[in-house]
Parts: sequence; C-alpha cells; structure tokens
Amino acid sequence: MSNTTFDADGITLEKVREYVWEIPREGDMRVPARVLASEALLEQIQDDKTLEQIKNTTHLPGITNYAICMPDGHQGYGFPVGGVGALDAENGCISPGAVGYDINCGVRMMRTNLTYDELQGNERELVDSLFANVPSGLGGGGIVEAGIDTVDEILSRGVDWALENGHAVEEDLLHCEDEGMRKGADPDKVSQKAKDRGKNQIGSLGSGNHFLEVQRVTDVFDGDVGEAYGLEEDQIVVLIHCGSRGLGHQTCNDYLRKIEKQHQGLLDQLPDKELAAAPAGSQLAEDYYGAMNAAINFAWVNRQLIMHRTREVFERVFDRSWQEMEMDLLYDVAHNIAKKETHTVGEDGDQRELYVHRKGATRAFPAGHPEVPAAYRDVGQPVIIPGSMGAGSYVLRGGENSMDLTFGSTAHGAGRLMSRTQAKDEFWGGDVQQDLEEQDQIYVKAQSGATVAEEAPGVYKDVDEVVRVSDELGIGDRVARTFPVCNIKG
Amino acid sequence: MTRAQGGRFELRDHTADIAVAATGDTLEAVFAAVADGLAAASADDIPEAAGDRFPLSVSAESREALLFDYLDELIYERDVRAALPVDHRVERIETVGEISPGDGTAGDDETEWTLEASTRGVPLDEVDAREVKAVTYSEMRLERVEAGATDEGGWEAYVVFDV
Repeated sequence: MSNTTFDADGITLEKVREYVWEIPREGDMRVPARVLASEALLEQIQDDKTLEQIKNTTHLPGITNYAICMPDGHQGYGFPVGGVGALDAENGCISPGAVGYDINCGVRMMRTNLTYDELQGNERELVDSLFANVPSGLGGGGIVEAGIDTVDEILSRGVDWALENGHAVEEDLLHCEDEGMRKGADPDKVSQKAKDRGKNQIGSLGSGNHFLEVQRVTDVFDGDVGEAYGLEEDQIVVLIHCGSRGLGHQTCNDYLRKIEKQHQGLLDQLPDKELAAAPAGSQLAEDYYGAMNAAINFAWVNRQLIMHRTREVFERVFDRSWQEMEMDLLYDVAHNIAKKETHTVGEDGDQRELYVHRKGATRAFPAGHPEVPAAYRDVGQPVIIPGSMGAGSYVLRGGENSMDLTFGSTAHGAGRLMSRTQAKDEFWGGDVQQDLEEQDQIYVKAQSGATVAEEAPGVYKDVDEVVRVSDELGIGDRVARTFPVCNIKG
Repeated sequence: MTRAQGGRFELRDHTADIAVAATGDTLEAVFAAVADGLAAASADDIPEAAGDRFPLSVSAESREALLFDYLDELIYERDVRAALPVDHRVERIETVGEISPGDGTAGDDETEWTLEASTRGVPLDEVDAREVKAVTYSEMRLERVEAGATDEGGWEAYVVFDV
C-alpha cells in the first residue's frame, strides 16, 4: 500500500486528501464514489461489502458529484449504511432502498437541569421505571393505541398532532427539523397494511439497535456552541433512538414491489435489486415521496411520545415537575431519509434540486443555512451521534465544509463491526449487563438478553475515531460528549 | 437443522443484519425452510406447542417475488396478530398462465405464481423474540440445483433480512 492508494481486495481507492478517498469511475458507474475515513477506519470498512455497495450506488440515474460513504459506513442492503447519494430531482430518481426500511429512523436528545450527582442512587429505580413505562421489544404495544383515523392524522400532521393531544409543548416543535411536520405527506399513499402494523406501535422503541438512554455530559469541547445548545459538563440528558416501526418498514417494502412491477427497465440497469428506484417525475416517485414524508411524521410522533413519557417517569422518580427539571428537546435528527434539497453543484455553481438520500447518515447543515431552525441558525444544526451502550455519544454541529463535501451530511453512529450471529457467540447478555454495571455504573435493562449480546460495546467501531474524522473534515464539529447512565432496549 | 418438509436452513453472518441460506428438495420445502430461518432469526428458543395454526395465501408475478411477498406477509402477520409465525408448511406453489422462458425468475404479465401455506402463531408474550424489520432483495438467490452423482438436486435460497 502506498501513501496515495489503498488496495481493498480488488477495489483501489485513491487518496484525494487527508480522510478523503475516491474510487474512480469505471464501467457503468455514472460518477466516482468517495469514502471519508482514516486509514484505521478504512481497514474496517473494507472487511465487508461496503465498498462494493457504494460503487453500486453510483449506477443510480441522476447521481450527482459522488456517492459518498461516511466514516461509520458498513454493509447494508443495496445502499450501504453510512451512505449519501444526491439524485437529481428532475432527471434522476428516488430510491426507497436508499432510504432504508426504517424511514426516519433517528435520534433525539432531551436536556435536563439535573446533575449526575443528583441522579446517582436513583439509577435502578429510574431504569426500572423507564423500562416499565416505555414500550419496547416485539409486541410491546405503544403509548397510544389508535384507530386508522388517528394514524392518518399523525401521518399528515406529525408532532402537531401530538401537541393537540397533550403529548408535546410548542417548544418541542421549534426544536425539531421541519418543526416536526413534513409538508407533502400523503397518508393515502401509505397502504392499509402499513397502517395496520403501525397503529399498535405508536410510541414504542422496537428492538435491534434502538434504545433510550439516560446520559451524563462528560465533556464540552466548544463552550460557545455548548452554551447555545444548553449543554454543560455533569448535566443529565436523555437520548432516544428509534424510527417509524412497522409502518415505515411496510411502506418501504410496498414501494420496492411497486417499482419492480412498474419500472423494470430502470431496475435492470442497477447492479442490486434493492437499489430499486422510481424515475423523478413519475407518478410512483411522487407517491413514494408522499408516503415517505408521512412515515417521517409517524417516526417524529413516535419519538415525541417516548420523550414525553420519559418526562412523566422523571417526574415520578424525582418528585418534581418536568418543567422544573427543564426537560427540553435539544434536537431531533433523522438518519434514514430522502429530502428534496437545493444544492450548489458543478463548477458553474448551479443550484439544483436533489433528492438527498441519507441512509445511516445525518444532515449536518452549517451556521447560517436557512433550513437550520432559528434557535440554532447562528451556530449550526445540532447533530446527535449515538455510540454503543458502553461508549460515549456525541453532539456535533453542522460543519462549514459539509455543503461542499457531503451535501450537508455527516456520520450517524459508531457503525457496526461484528455480525449479530458472531456477537452472540462472543458475548452473553447477562455478562455484558453485569460488566457494564460493575465497571462503568451503566444500568441496562432489555426485553431480550440476546439483544444485549448483539449490541455489546465490542461489536461497534470506535465512535471517537468516527467523530474525529468528521471534525477534522469540518463536516460535523465536536461540541460535547456524553456517557451512558441507564439504557433500556428491546 | 432438518425441518418437517425436508428443507434445511442456516443463519449466516451479515454485518448489521442477518441472512438465511436454505435448501429443499422442492420449491415448497425451500420456501418453508427460509421461513423457518426467519423464525430462528427472531427467537433462539421456540416453544413447542404454543399458539394456533393459521393459513395464508400469497400471489406474485415471479418466483422470487413470491418468496419475497411470502416472507413479507409473515412479518406483517406477526405485527397484526402479535404472534411469531413458526413451523412453516408450504402446501402448494402453482402457476397460472404461461411460464416465461426465463423459468419464471423474470416477471411475466401472463404468469401468476400462487402459494398456499400455514404457520403456527406463537403469541409474542410467550416467546423471547426480537424484531426482524423486513425481508430484502439484496443478494437474494433462489436457484434450482441440478442432480449430482450423490444427490437428487433441489432448490437453494439465500435471503438477507433487515434487523
């Protein structure tokens, strides 16, 4: 391996500059692919099919500049996890597979004014109470049991529905992307099957890598931005990671199948059927965009309900009102999404409308961007990067290079390193739980011991390295780091 | 693992998700084996007797699409019935209309593939089960294996599930 190339078992990456690697165009690739990583991360990324998948992504019609793999990239299905693809909204396409099954899977962080000292001694009660009150796992129901009419309202109105029904306050909307309501959501484009699956899951974590975590802020790297975000060392915050549940999964599947039936010609051009895309301007592209936006609203309501329930749990455990504990939403980010955005592309500085697909990648708009909510426009959009349950999570802010390098995007987490089957061979849930409690004072409670093993800290990449690369590239700058205190999962 | 219909499956490593590789003497057997793999990916221990059997039927435009829709239907039923489908039996896979020269793998408007199956739904509160989000087309394979000197051939399938 020389300094300027990296040979990854048949795929050669050329170093463009520090942390930027390029797979040059060849064959039917429409554009080059780029991987943003240190050599240490690249060594891990090359181990599975991530590089092949990011190459495949470059075959999508209308793909602009590059297909980009984030520092936490790993193999997914079709599009890699940690992938960003900007597809022309006029001449390109939109791809349900490049959004992922869990539409608007994402993370939100809620602040409190509690300190770690105040919380210590209450961890057990808190973790038990959160576990008892926040539905998780398979078949655990939801915070709200609703009929189809209510599902339709949620799909149309997002968090505005939650506000009207006492599950949110006005301030929550102001600290969420699009104020918690995606315009252009069309509930009629979401199938009955999807609604049937979703109606019993409104306000539920699900399983897999989804969780709710009480955390303490261990470091604030940027005092000014930290202050703007209301973060200080030793403070307790809550992080919630989940998505649109069965409703989103079904919506993705429904549209993959529709594309297969209606746009076989486009599908035949693609190296992986899971990249299935509807041509921009087609009825199906419009329908999917309307359905996806509706599922985005559903996921926001899901996280909102869980957050509001968490406030109630804290009220009981700490015997004071949530307002008194200043339990306010810091921000909510999506990391499985496609959004129509205007970007400057090409040497002439043309403005173009693109469907920016971020699958396992987070929007990271810099200070001054008009789409950053007013509360944070001066400092840049908050980006929340969850780590594993034994490592820190990070709060970043959108970096000033993100618009040029990544269509305003950065990483979304640590990124998996080890398969679930291997994790279960190497770890036992009970041991992982006990070690975390005894060595790190992290209290974990899960529906399934197997989930704890599959999500053991050792199965993830080093989140510190992922964030360091994001920060060095100036796509997402480090603001603060947090460490788990209590974790509940499915 | 040998199942009632003679199909076999194995769970395979995949960085974030899980894959099922299955074989069967017949198309019905390999479909049932993939579905049993889906159940195994959802739960390590499946209660022997809990739950009631229920039938399901699926139709699609090609053989691969039929497998995809069958697995999708099982995941859907799991969520709406709050029961994990296990012990899969695929009674019958049939085609209506002309089979395309591509042996049914490419969609043909004239052809419809149908499947009749049954499954036992174990109530989710009686099993320690995890959520498999969805079936994917990524790397999906469904292929006939020619008979060799020591075996009679059959079918092989490989399916990646999103966890």
